[in-house]
Amino acid sequence: MMREVTVTFVEEDGTARVLAAETGQSLMQAGKDGGVAGILADCSGSCACATCHVYVDEAWFGKTGAPDAIEDEMLDMVADVRKPTSRLSCQIKLSQTLDGLKVTVAPTG
Amino acid sequence: MNTTKQTGVCPVTGKGTMLEQRSLIDPEISAHPKAYYDAMRADDPIHYDEKLHMYLVSRFEDIQTIQRDPVTFSVEHGYKAQYSAGYFEEFKEILEREGGGYFPDAIMSDPPYHTRIRGLMDKAFTAHRVRELEPCITEIVVDLLDKLPAGEPVDIVKHFSVPVTIRVICEQLGVEQYNADKLSRWSQAVTAQIGRMQNREQMVENAKEICELQHFLIGHIKDRQKHPKEDMISDLVHARIEGSDEPTLTFKEVVSLVRALMIAGNDTTATAMTNLFYVLGTQPKVAELLKASADDDKLMSRFVEELLRLEPPVRGLSRMTTKEVEVGGRLLPKGAHLLLMYASANDQEDVFTCPRDFDMDRPNLGRHVAFGGGPHRCIGLSLARMEIRIAAREVAKRLENIRLKIPLADIPYLKSVATHTIEHLPISFTKR
Repeated sequence: MMREVTVTFVEEDGTARVLAAETGQSLMQAGKDGGVAGILADCSGSCACATCHVYVDEAWFGKTGAPDAIEDEMLDMVADVRKPTSRLSCQIKLSQTLDGLKVTVAPTG
Repeated sequence: MNTTKQTGVCPVTGKGTMLEQRSLIDPEISAHPKAYYDAMRADDPIHYDEKLHMYLVSRFEDIQTIQRDPVTFSVEHGYKAQYSAGYFEEFKEILEREGGGYFPDAIMSDPPYHTRIRGLMDKAFTAHRVRELEPCITEIVVDLLDKLPAGEPVDIVKHFSVPVTIRVICEQLGVEQYNADKLSRWSQAVTAQIGRMQNREQMVENAKEICELQHFLIGHIKDRQKHPKEDMISDLVHARIEGSDEPTLTFKEVVSLVRALMIAGNDTTATAMTNLFYVLGTQPKVAELLKASADDDKLMSRFVEELLRLEPPVRGLSRMTTKEVEVGGRLLPKGAHLLLMYASANDQEDVFTCPRDFDMDRPNLGRHVAFGGGPHRCIGLSLARMEIRIAAREVAKRLENIRLKIPLADIPYLKSVATHTIEHLPISFTKR
C-alpha cells in the first residue's frame, strides 16, 4: 500500500524544499515532480547519467544505504563533486523508514 | 590542408580566416575538424555557417544551456529542418510510394509528446538491465575477435565494429535472420538523412535502402502483433502506460521507434569501437593503460568514458529556436537552426584540462557531452557503454601490438556533419 512520506531537498543555493511523496516512488521522481532545482534526471532513472546526484544527510545515510557497484561507477564519473554520502536519487526507493529524509542537491555543472 | 591552429584574424570582422572562408561541410574540415572547432570557440562561439545555413554552437556551457531547455530549443523542428534537407518532399514521396509509408521519428520530438514516448522506452535500457546482457555481448565480441586474422592487415570496421553492433542489436530486437551487409547499408542510408552531405542521386539511393529496411521491420512488427516474444520489438508493440489517454503506441510510432533502435546505436557504437582501435594504434601509452585497467570494472568504466570524450562518434545534432533568445551573448532569432558541436565542447580546455590527452583520471569525466544531455540524452547510452567496455576488455586480453596499416592522412571519413565516422581502418596485430 502506498503511504505518504515527507522528504526535504536543499537546493544548491540553500533553499530547502519540503515535499510530500509516496512510498514506492524514487527520491528522484519526488524531486522532479516537486520541481527541485538541480534534479535533472536526464536518463529518467536508468542509473546512467548522474544528473540526480544528492548528498544524503549523514544522519540518514545508514537508512538509505550505500550505492551498489553500478551506481558507484556512475558516481565515480562526477568524482569532482562526490562526497562520502553521495547517492543518485533515482536509486533511492522511498519507504516508510525514509519518512523525513533530508538530502542536499549536488552541483549540476 | 588549412588546419593549423594559427589562423589569421581578420582586422575587420575579428574572425579567423578559416571561419570566414571554410564550412563544416567542406570535406577536409569535416574529416579533420579540430582546428575549426578551436577557432570557433576562440573567435566566434556561435558561428553562422553560411553554406550549411546553421549556427554552430561550439562552447560547452552554451550547449548545456540549450539542451536543458527543450521547449525553447526544439529537437522536433531542428530535426525536421535537418532531415533529408533540400530533398525532403521527394524523399517522403519515395517512402510513401515504395516503403510502406513515411514514419516520422517519434523520439525526435518535444515535450510533452516526447515525455510519453520516452517513458515507453526507458525501461528497456536501464544500466541494471543492460548489465544482464554482459555474457551475451561478451560471446559475440570474443567470437568476432577470434576470427580476426593475426599478422595481416584487416579492416576493423568491416570485420569487427560493424558486425558486433549489428549482432547485439538484432539479438535485442529479436531479429534472427538478417543480412549484415544490407543492415549496414540501411544504417548508413538512415543516418545520411541528418548528415547534410548527400546529393540528390545519393538521396534517391538512400531512400530506396530505407524502403527496403522498413518492409523488413514491418514484417517483424506484424509478426509480433500476432505472436509476442521476449524481445524489444514485442515490448514496443505491446507497451502500455496505464492510466494514460493514449496508453499504447500507434503503428506509425512503433515502426519509427524500431527503426530508430535498429539504426541509432549501430553506426555510432561501431564508430566508438573503431575509435578504440584508432587510439590504441596511435597511442601505445593508452594500450598500456587499457591493459592495466582490463580487470577492474570501475577503471574500465573510466576508460570508456574518456574514449567517448576524446573521440565522440556523434559530433553534431540539431535544434531550432521557438522564440528569440540570447545564448552565450548572441541574440538568436526565432527559427534559428542550430548544430550542437559536441566534439568541440569535449575539447574545451577550461572544462577538460589538456583536452587532447587521453586522461582517464579526470575528476569530471562524466561531464562530457558525447551522449548529448538534457531530456534528449542518448537513450541507449548504457548499452553503448557496455558494448564498448566489453570490446575494450577483450581486446586487451587477446590482442597486442595493434598498428594502423594506413597513413593518418589517408583514413577515410564519412561525409556527415552529424557523426565523425571512420569508414575503413586497416590494422594489424598479434595475438596474446
